[in-house]
Formats: sequence, structure tokens, C-alpha cells
Amino acid sequence: MIATSCSNDSKKASIELQNVDLSAEDEALLKQLVEAIIPETDSPGAAALNLHLFVMKMVDDCHSPEDQKSFLEGLKAASKISINNTDQALAYLQGLEKEDAFMRILKRRTIQGYLNSEYVMKNKLIYELVPGRYDGAVKINA
Amino acid sequence: MANLNIDSEKNRTYDAIVIGSGISGGWSAKELCERGLKTLVLERGRDVQHIKDYPTTNMNPWEFEHRNEVTYQLKQDNPIASKCYAFQEATEQFFVKDQEHPYVQEKPFDWIRGYQVGGKSLLWARQTQRWSDFDFEGPARDGFAVDWPIRYADLKPWYDYVERFAGISGDKDGLPELPDGEFLPGYPLNVVEKYFKQTVESKYPERKLITARCAHISQPQPIHIQQGRTQCQNRTLCERGCPFGGYFSSNASTLPWAAKTGNMTLRPDAVVHSILYDEDKGKAIGVRVIDRNTKEEIDFYAKLIFVNAAAINTNLILLNSRSNRFPNGLGNDSDTLGKYVAFHNYSARIYAEYEGLLDFKTEGRNPAGGGYIPRFRNLYKQETDYLRGYAAGFGAYRSANSDRSGLGVDLKESLLNPQLGNWGVGSHMMGETIPKVDSYVALDSNQKDAWGVPLLKISIDYDDNDEKMKKDYLDTMEEMFTEAGFTNIRRDDRWQAPGLDIHEMGGVRMGNDAKTSMLNKWNQMHAVSNVFVTDGACMTSTSTQNPSLTYMAFSARSVDYAVQELKKGNI
Repeated sequence: MIATSCSNDSKKASIELQNVDLSAEDEALLKQLVEAIIPETDSPGAAALNLHLFVMKMVDDCHSPEDQKSFLEGLKAASKISINNTDQALAYLQGLEKEDAFMRILKRRTIQGYLNSEYVMKNKLIYELVPGRYDGAVKINA
Repeated sequence: MANLNIDSEKNRTYDAIVIGSGISGGWSAKELCERGLKTLVLERGRDVQHIKDYPTTNMNPWEFEHRNEVTYQLKQDNPIASKCYAFQEATEQFFVKDQEHPYVQEKPFDWIRGYQVGGKSLLWARQTQRWSDFDFEGPARDGFAVDWPIRYADLKPWYDYVERFAGISGDKDGLPELPDGEFLPGYPLNVVEKYFKQTVESKYPERKLITARCAHISQPQPIHIQQGRTQCQNRTLCERGCPFGGYFSSNASTLPWAAKTGNMTLRPDAVVHSILYDEDKGKAIGVRVIDRNTKEEIDFYAKLIFVNAAAINTNLILLNSRSNRFPNGLGNDSDTLGKYVAFHNYSARIYAEYEGLLDFKTEGRNPAGGGYIPRFRNLYKQETDYLRGYAAGFGAYRSANSDRSGLGVDLKESLLNPQLGNWGVGSHMMGETIPKVDSYVALDSNQKDAWGVPLLKISIDYDDNDEKMKKDYLDTMEEMFTEAGFTNIRRDDRWQAPGLDIHEMGGVRMGNDAKTSMLNKWNQMHAVSNVFVTDGACMTSTSTQNPSLTYMAFSARSVDYAVQELKKGNI
């Protein structure tokens, strides 16, 4: 297990992870960060859709140890800044380099989780499990 | 005790044994059972029952823990299986895991396997083009392998027969190189695929682009309803197993049909060790099985044995069936067993964009996948510096994309309002490869698997012919793409190991001459009259067409012959 801090007394994250050790504070910070990427508007944002938990799950299961290390380093760096609301989180993320590994993973997974969320797939960009049709020449009404 | 043994042996005796329950074994089983033979079907993997054992079939994307992505660990543990396009969180239960079934790669070979009832028929790409005499006459005309002992006319009625039952969609295109069949309505090409068809066919009259023919029920007939199958619902989630039976698999079609006769005994978890040969009778008498779970050794007996273990495993079983009479594998008087293995060259693709027809889009999903360009190279005569030719898939798609560069409200708005972009187009090659004596599989002399069966060594490679063909494919497609006004053309000259095409064929080839081949024109062993091989192992050459439909036709034809011979007392 790799972790953002070496202290053992912090509270654990709310979901069980196998490879990365995240604390409740890490989770809270990630919640601010994902909400900054996809905020609540007239429809739910990333926090309400629990995308911080999705990001944690994907980092834990679907990334290489190198990626996990980069992610934890990025998270640790963010934790040293005072981020108490979405605006501060957004400002922090906007200050990161485009190529920042932490940012790249966080953003990619947040977007993936959002577009594949039950909410979006049922209410916004409708997913059809059973299309029952194929039309290869649908005229678009301009 | 003696009586008990006799009883026990009697209980383990059938009229016929089919080794393997995949696409060809399912057909062998169905045909044998329908002719009244008590048939034992041996499957090395677990049971998979239609619908009941498709755990992911009705899951929505958000219901997958990793949104259908394969985990890092699963990928690390399965470097071979995870190369397959169909290996996903939703489907991984139907793939053999690398570590459970090792083999020796003398040369790189990605062996993709499905050890369960139904085999790879759950996972196949469902493309079903008939062979023609341009294929069956290939080896004789171009001087490689040996002459096929059959021609299209021998197989035509059996193509008709299996197509009607399996449900094959397609158009009647009237092409001699790709004979028409008993088709359900084809899935029409989309607007850009049609545009490319017109461009290609007007500029190059000898080249055709047709709608891909596939094993999907576009319009169910009574025979499909009787199987409990219905119309394909355009889900294109096929590799999870289809609850509608919309595509053909052993699980949805042939196996339940065989079971309904009351003549089939299906035994999953039965790893075939070898075929038992009796020197006095000069025949095979049964099959030795190792129970997958208990490792118990059990012999089963029958008058007829159909080997349908999938091409490479059929080779393995025959190589491991050694006796005084056949020290180098069952029926191997010709010393060709395990040799002349070939595959399809899938090692190039090409992509581009099309900025026309932007007032059109598609809706729903196309199970046929788009268009198919039959082989046009070297068809009527040799015209290139390489032998044979390639077929090509062609598909056009138009997806909606969003700008993901921003953050916050802007990003969210952009994600929720994707814009249709240019059309994307893509093609992949399917090249015929030449079977060679030095492309072989053989038993490893030291290592055995967990069931005491020797590991298989695989030594199969591309050659110069394949390289030249690949270059021609890329050049030719690029030229046609340019002709059609496609832009941003990207040649993908990837190398992929043989095997990943999942079209491995040969090793137990058919031929007229017992001195140079293993099987006669009925897929019957020259040297052992009651053993038949009707899976990919029997193939003398590879053609460019996806091979499964031909295995089905071989299986049905071969059973018909075998049962007649059995009744006449010739077997």
C-alpha cells in the first residue's frame, strides 16, 4: 500500500482500497477537486454523483504503480494548500500544468465517471441498452 | 467386480463422441443427435447455459465497477488474452486466463481461447462469408500446400443447410468470388459506406464493397423461433452472450437443439487427454478424459469420434494420442500432423476522416459492422509479386465529441452538448497466409499441464509474402481513400503476433493423398476411418474469408457421411 502520509492515526477513506491508502481527509479533498472539475449547476455535479469515490476506485484498480505514485504525490501537494470550497479547488487546478500527471488522471477519471454515470446516461445523454434499430442515413435537420 | 466393470464400461459407451462444444462441435453434436446417435459431447471447461450463464448481459455501463475497463492487475496477469479486442470487464469470464493454461512460444503467438461450453462461439466476430473455388483451387493453381480434395460444389448444399439454421444476414451480391447464400435481409451500409462503395466500384470495376454478411437474425424465420431465438436487437454487446439469441452460438442454437433430441450427454469439465486406438480393430475405440476438477482419469467409448477441440487443441490431442501403430500421433502416417499451420494476416489497418455528407448521421447500432471488400488481388490470374490476396473490412462512423480542455461549468456544458464531428472511416486487412512445413505445433518433451497433458510448442510466423501483401493493402487502401476524398489518412502498420486474428488453421489438413495429408475429402482420417476432424485443424489453406461458417458446413456434411458409412458397416 502506498499513502499520502505516513501517519496511521488519520481516519480511513469510506471505501476499501487495495493498493493506495487514502484517508478521510484525502477523500474530502478529492470531493472538492472533482466538484471543481464538474460543478453542480441546474443538474448534479461530481460530488453528488460520488465521482471522487469513482476516481479513488479507478486509481486503485486500473492504474500502474507509477501512476498511483504520481496521483498520491499530486494529492499530497494539493493537501498543503488551503482548499475549503469549489472556487479554491478550481483555482488550484487551474494553476497546475496541463501535463501534470495528477491532473491528467484526476480529470480523465472524473470525466469518465460523469459520462458513464447513471444520472447522465438516464437523463442527459441517453444510453440505449437495447436500441432495436440501425439507421445508417439519418438526415439532420439543420 | 468383473461384472461391475463391464457395467461401468457400458455406462461409458456411446454411439459417438464429440470432442469440443464450440462452433464446429455444436454442429457435429446436433447432426449426430438428430440422426439418432447417442452422443457424448466432451467440453474441457465449465458449463455455460444460454442466458442463465451470461451474468453481464443486461448490465448498463454504470453497473460495472470499472465501467467495463479491465483492471491493471488483470491486464498484467493476462498479457495475451488482454490483447484481444473483446477482452473486457463484461466478457473476461469467457476467456482463458494466460496463467491457467500456459504454452511454449517458440515464436510469438497470441493464442486466444475460450474454455467453456460453447467455446469461442460466444465470442466470435460473427462474420460469415462462403468460400469459393478461387479459394479451394488456390493451392493447386499457385503451387503451395496440397490440392483441396473438394470444390465449392461439394460444400454448397451444406453451406445452404447450415445458413438456414444458423441465421445469416446478407445481400445477394452475385459475386463469383463470394457466393451468395440463404440469406436473411442484410444490414444496409450507412451513407458514407455507400459513398465509398460507389467511388470504389466506379473507379475500379473489379473491386466490390458489399454489406458484411454475419450470423445475426435480421428477420427471424420459424426455424429460429423453434430454437428459442429471436431478432437481433442491435445491442452489439454480443460477447457477453445474447439473451435474444440474436447471433449464432452453440449455446443459443446447436447445443439446446441437440439436447432436445434426448440423445446428447454433455459433459463439461472433461479435459481430453488422448484418443484411444485399438491395434487389433485398426480403429479408435474411445477417448481418455481427465476430470478438470478431480483429476480423475476416465475412458469413454464410441464407434465414431469427431474432433472439434478448436484448431490448435485438436492438433494437441492427436499429437498426444500415441500408440505403437502411431508413435507420432493418431493417423500421422504422412508426418504432416501439426505442420502447415497458417492463419490470417490482420497486421495492418488504415484510418481517415471524411468531411462530406455532414448533413447525415447514424442511429442505433449495426451488428454487421459495416462493409466488406472481397479479395480482388490475383483472383483470376497472378498479378502481384506476392501470392494470393486479402479481403478488407470497411466501416464509417460519426460520433459526437466534446471539447474537454476546460474545467468547471464550461467543461460540464461542453460534455453535455457534444457536437457531431467529421465522419471517421477505418479498414482492416484480412490476408491469406501460406501454410508451410516449418509453421508447426508440437508437444513439448518436458513440460506438462495440470492435467498431465504435454504443453504445446507453437512456432508460426509471417514471411516475405505476408509483408509484401501488407504493403500492397496499405498502398491500395490509401489510394482508394484518397480517391474518395478522405482526409487525415493514417496508416497503422502495426505488427501483431499470429494468433490474435483468432483464425489459426491447419495441422490436420485435408488432401487426396494419404501420403501428404491427414484427412480425406470427408474430413475422415485416411488412416483411422472412424475419426473425423471438422474444425479449423482440417484446413488445407486459409482463404481470406472468416472461416467459422466453413467449419459448420464441414461438420454437417461430414456427420451425414459418417452416419451413412456407419449404417453400411464401413466404419
